[in-house]
Amino acid sequence: MRTAPALALLAAAVAASLLARHTLSVAAIALLLFLLCLRAPRRRRWPYLVGTGVSAVALFVVTPFVETLGSHPLWTGPILPVIGQLDVTHEELASALFQACRLAAVGLAFAAYALLLDHDRLLAAAGFARRSVLVVALATRLVPTLERDAAGLVDSLRGRGVEVEGARRRAALLSPLLAGSLERGLNLAEAMEARGYGRAGRTRVPPPPWRLVDRLALVGAAVLTALGVLWL
Amino acid sequence: MALVQVDGLTFAYPAGPQALRGVSLRIERGEVVLLLGNSGSGKTTLLRALGGLVPHFHGGRFEGRVEIDGRDTRTSRPADLAGTVAMLFQDPEEQVVLTRVSREVAFGLENMGTPPQQILPRALSALAAVGAAQLADRPVSELSGGELQRVCLASALALEPQLLLLDEPTSQLDPDSAEELLERATELGSTVVLSEQRPERVLAAATRVLFFEAGRVLLDAPVDRARAWLDEHRPAWSTEPRLVTQRDEGTGTLLCRLRDVAYAYRPGEPVLEAFDLELRRGEIVALAGPNGSGKTTIAKLAAGLLEPTAGHVERMGRAALLLQDPGRYVVRDRAVDEVALGVGGDHVRARRALADVGLAGKESRHPRDLSSGERERLALASVLVTEPDLLVLDEPTRGVDPERKRRLAASLRADASRRATLVVTHDDVFATSVADRIVHLEKGSDPEGLTLTQAAARG
Repeated sequence: MRTAPALALLAAAVAASLLARHTLSVAAIALLLFLLCLRAPRRRRWPYLVGTGVSAVALFVVTPFVETLGSHPLWTGPILPVIGQLDVTHEELASALFQACRLAAVGLAFAAYALLLDHDRLLAAAGFARRSVLVVALATRLVPTLERDAAGLVDSLRGRGVEVEGARRRAALLSPLLAGSLERGLNLAEAMEARGYGRAGRTRVPPPPWRLVDRLALVGAAVLTALGVLWL
Repeated sequence: MALVQVDGLTFAYPAGPQALRGVSLRIERGEVVLLLGNSGSGKTTLLRALGGLVPHFHGGRFEGRVEIDGRDTRTSRPADLAGTVAMLFQDPEEQVVLTRVSREVAFGLENMGTPPQQILPRALSALAAVGAAQLADRPVSELSGGELQRVCLASALALEPQLLLLDEPTSQLDPDSAEELLERATELGSTVVLSEQRPERVLAAATRVLFFEAGRVLLDAPVDRARAWLDEHRPAWSTEPRLVTQRDEGTGTLLCRLRDVAYAYRPGEPVLEAFDLELRRGEIVALAGPNGSGKTTIAKLAAGLLEPTAGHVERMGRAALLLQDPGRYVVRDRAVDEVALGVGGDHVRARRALADVGLAGKESRHPRDLSSGERERLALASVLVTEPDLLVLDEPTRGVDPERKRRLAASLRADASRRATLVVTHDDVFATSVADRIVHLEKGSDPEGLTLTQAAARG
């Protein structure tokens, strides 16, 4: 499938999950996106899936305590300064689940974008705003590069007998990681200039022809968005 | 008209000393010019000047004139010279822009304004020319270092440049891959200017040699005369491997034993099977073999950074490992703090270790402000300061000039009795000059080509 229709499908899934009003509908979209993400290689997909899962669970846990909704308390806790009475109602739990599913759907759509789309084709397809799309493509590559650098940094320290354990020690690696990526960015910029980037009269690889599946994907994206507005 | 004309080129990077001093030379079409010289002698700066990156990208003070095919680089930007000139940098990971191989090779062609219908055929043809046609649809993130370097060479060759600039292109490759890459680079008819730290690989393909020292051209001669000059004046650059007689009988205390060890990064894809190795105090063992044969995996297993998926690793003492490209992995803001990290902040030991590697007086410098060679030595000090019983070095001579390699070998030999040393290296000359025995690894013969056997052990 061409990149543009695939991107349209993902965007429609995000739109539908944001517009839908039923938890079951949003959960179904999230499940579909999750299954889609499973097509990516295991070692690449786990940070995205774990990150999305943890965020969604955290939202589900926190929401009932910060929201004031409903009149059917399942649990009543102490009164805290500023926050007030802690309680969890049936309605708050339902709302938390709904929002967690939404967050999961959006996160999984981004994961599918990062893991499965051909960013080079996306860049080639962008007739306008090429510079912005190139920035997005490079930023997308930054995640695995940082992951590799972080692993190298930890190995380098362990090789000297310094164990990197605990959030504080791991957080201390952020600064050298950032410095390393800035250095890498300078080298990349030099290589790009040497390869003619920025020269006038740029052309691009002709995009592959539209196929039936691409047209169907575009129609599917429109239908999914409409479903989100009207029925889901 | 000469393809390259350099007149009185003097250059200094911003806030830096002069990197080139009064360099003048002419390069005719079809020549293959080899640049030799210690780290910091000006080779890379000259290559950057020929590509217009100096001064346009780096800034600095530029005097003299560089003309490429009649175009003055002061008035032509690097992007304008691209196509006439193509450059391959040392680290392929830092020059890859896109995520798929064919698109990556096409990137430069698109920038040149190549007619759209010609872009992919030319990209695929360049990939075929470097023997990498089968990689066209692969993501670049899944390629080995050697494969990635070939893709980068294809990206340069796809532009059909008149002048091909190669900055230590083989530093990450095993000898066979390096020889193949250089063959591909030189057989396609472009004028080639390349810098190298391992002249033995390149001299056969070169027509002319320039030797740099402190930014000046010390020698500009055809290859035969250059060989004689190197033997007489710079013996460290001599291309004859000097085999050392075995200095250790391998009878010291056993410090590390790998027995029937296997390892797989992914289930069902072993990179190492049934591997045995013993390391004793007093001996230096070199581990050689092609890219992807599992050398780094063995280094990490020996140092305790990985646990084997089968078999046993025993260590009798403290191990330390210096990874490939260690200059990239610095975490502190001062050199002395970086070294002291491994010894609980003991600055006295850290200062002594810095002095031992020739970095006395640079204790307060930020590690990232040090030159690449100094960074490598800083990393070595960071490991040596821990006084390990087992020292594991993974490609310690990558990008290191012969003079410094000789000093490193001498230093390792001098302290050999204090520990067991395992050196992973592609560098045959270094291996033969430092090791008591060399273990050669080979890729196995299974269809995946992933398993390996311990092919031979010489000692």
